[in-house]
Amino acid sequence: MWLTFKNKFFVQFWSPFAAVIAAGILSTYFFGLTGSLWAVTGEFTRWGGHIMQWFGAEPESWQYFKIIGLEGTPLDRVGGVMIIGMFGGCLAAVLWANNMKLRMPSSKKRIAQALIGGMIAGFGARLAMGCNLAAFFTGIPQFTLHAWLFAFAAAAGTYLGAKITLLPFFRSTATIKPGALKKVIKRNPNQEKARFILGSLVFTAIVIASFYMMIHSTKLGIAMLMGVIFGLLIERAQICFTSAFRDMWITGRTHMAKAIILGMAVSTIGIYSYVQLGMTPKTLWAGPNAVIGGLLFGIGIVIAGGCETGWMYRALEGQVHFWWVGIGNIVGATILAYYWDTFSAPLATNWDKVNLLDVFGPLGGLGMTYLLLGLSFILILLWERHFFNKQRSVQNLATVQVAPQQSAVNVMANVR
Amino acid sequence: MTDSVVPDYNLEIYGEPCPYPAVATLEAMTSLKSGEVLEVITDCSQSINNIPSDAKNHGYEVLDISQQGVMLRYLIRR
Repeated sequence: MWLTFKNKFFVQFWSPFAAVIAAGILSTYFFGLTGSLWAVTGEFTRWGGHIMQWFGAEPESWQYFKIIGLEGTPLDRVGGVMIIGMFGGCLAAVLWANNMKLRMPSSKKRIAQALIGGMIAGFGARLAMGCNLAAFFTGIPQFTLHAWLFAFAAAAGTYLGAKITLLPFFRSTATIKPGALKKVIKRNPNQEKARFILGSLVFTAIVIASFYMMIHSTKLGIAMLMGVIFGLLIERAQICFTSAFRDMWITGRTHMAKAIILGMAVSTIGIYSYVQLGMTPKTLWAGPNAVIGGLLFGIGIVIAGGCETGWMYRALEGQVHFWWVGIGNIVGATILAYYWDTFSAPLATNWDKVNLLDVFGPLGGLGMTYLLLGLSFILILLWERHFFNKQRSVQNLATVQVAPQQSAVNVMANVR
Repeated sequence: MTDSVVPDYNLEIYGEPCPYPAVATLEAMTSLKSGEVLEVITDCSQSINNIPSDAKNHGYEVLDISQQGVMLRYLIRR
């Protein structure tokens, strides 16, 4: 009984479809309870700011940090404790499933990809004032036009990123070998057990820390606790916003993209009701910054292999590649913050903060958001059909050209 | 379990991030003859959400998925 339960909930991965929708619901309550969006890059930028402070710089005088704030420590901020909770939740999940192993990048090329892709993504996200979360998944339900600009630009960016990632230079060198694999993957029951206990300890500790935080500040405690659940969700279901965009272009898989649209649709009505009760939605400049930032972000996340949310749990799983992505993100975000003053006026701050609820009226804005979500869903379906139709015609062509007696190796060479 | 199935080919991919494991798998599949089975072994946890559904979407049959610690093993028939 226990073993089946353990295996099903703590070891096997969860359905990403359900988990994304759960994240949509949870992020709505997160807004209601803390007044903030579920977001991570703003806080990572502040961490970059703190590091600059250690080295004697005064980032608190930079305009960008005046906008996003750099007071106190991560423990004093909703975003800070939420991320600590998320790391705790991810770590518990990784240990429960015994899914932790130091995995080194396969080549120096990959490290460069991780670092450079991470920097481009970090820079782009902060230029647009948000990543896949605040400028997309939790941004669109806030009715802010900048999130729509970002989303479409990011989709285009991931298309370019996919083209770059699949250049022969970057391809994987793994090749197929005949026969079954001789190697047997051994189980290590002692390690499994020890890690399960350790994971449970981490989980208990972070939950107790959240409750302790609630004594100090209800809002911060709740943010931390919800961070733990977000962490569990993203690791257990391997939620990946990057793959949602990228794999539409590369393999024609639209499962995750559809799930994200449904998650946003669920969240939208919830945020709408909070706004009707008097909360102010988070609206940002609908300027070229959202488009350029989205484009850069899209290119960067595909080259890096993961976005701001994605590297968090992969880094804890021991995938060294994503340590580099994380470093790149923070460096890129800090560079953006440093140069912000030189281009912020023409690209962002001179533009209006447009909220669909103001433009079309409350019901009109709600209707517009669902209309756009519906249209995006239809676009995804059309793309999927186009992708597989095209592929079928390519395959038919290939079967005509390739003689059946050719060996597998030769066919492989033809494909390459 | 499908211990009875003997794979015709194997593909090992370690330390590679997405999309490479899925792309390498799909490319390898095109070199198989109909009915042949490919065994994919990878330590990319994220492949759980792409290799099986990509294989299905591209018209292949996923015979088995097993998970052992960080290792994932897929058996796919063309």
